[in-house]
Amino acid sequence: MAWFCLVLSGLSEVIGVYGINRVNEKKGIQGYLILAAGFVLSLGLLSVAMRSISMGTAYAIWTGIGTVGSAVLGMLAFGESRDVRRLLFIGMVLAAAVGLKLIS
Amino acid sequence: MNRNWTMVFVAGLFEISWVIGLKHAYNWWTWTLTAIAIGASMDLLIRASKRLPVGTTYAVFTGIGTAGTVVLEMALFDEPVSAAKLLLIALLLGGVIGLKTITQEKEAEPKGGRS
Repeated sequence: MAWFCLVLSGLSEVIGVYGINRVNEKKGIQGYLILAAGFVLSLGLLSVAMRSISMGTAYAIWTGIGTVGSAVLGMLAFGESRDVRRLLFIGMVLAAAVGLKLIS
Repeated sequence: MNRNWTMVFVAGLFEISWVIGLKHAYNWWTWTLTAIAIGASMDLLIRASKRLPVGTTYAVFTGIGTAGTVVLEMALFDEPVSAAKLLLIALLLGGVIGLKTITQEKEAEPKGGRS
């Protein structure tokens, strides 16, 4: 159950990131609502997951799903660059962020 | 360093302050500052993502937030310093600099092309 919450929490973060793009592409309040709903839900589920999963592990997986999900979302939904170098550099940032959360 | 990248970096700095705020805030004004920092970091991230791809800005934003928090906790809250942490921070900086070097910005038209 905790792991289910954690995965959902990461996916909600991606919904929040979708909201960021929505704010920039269309006028109106909808983008802000999606953004706020996504991130609030994400943090709520994360804190539920952390009751039984250790903080470092939970944070690391949450960051991982959020970062990979945002990159994939950007490429599939918004036509962002699929340049190999871009994916490599995002991978470096991702590996470092996940590593830092696991060990600190 | 152009405007959009500066906004991503400053958004990351605000993120560090609210992550620390969420952990250490203890009264009404520290919580108010924490809330302001959350708003400011989101606002800057949204603006930067107008011209930069959101997959990139979000990765850099998260990365700066994570590395900055680790650095500040080592500096201010007596967390242990380790070679592994420093190596990971170097890896992260490498990735961020790489991204900044290769990313093309969208023109005023919001529909972006592939770089």
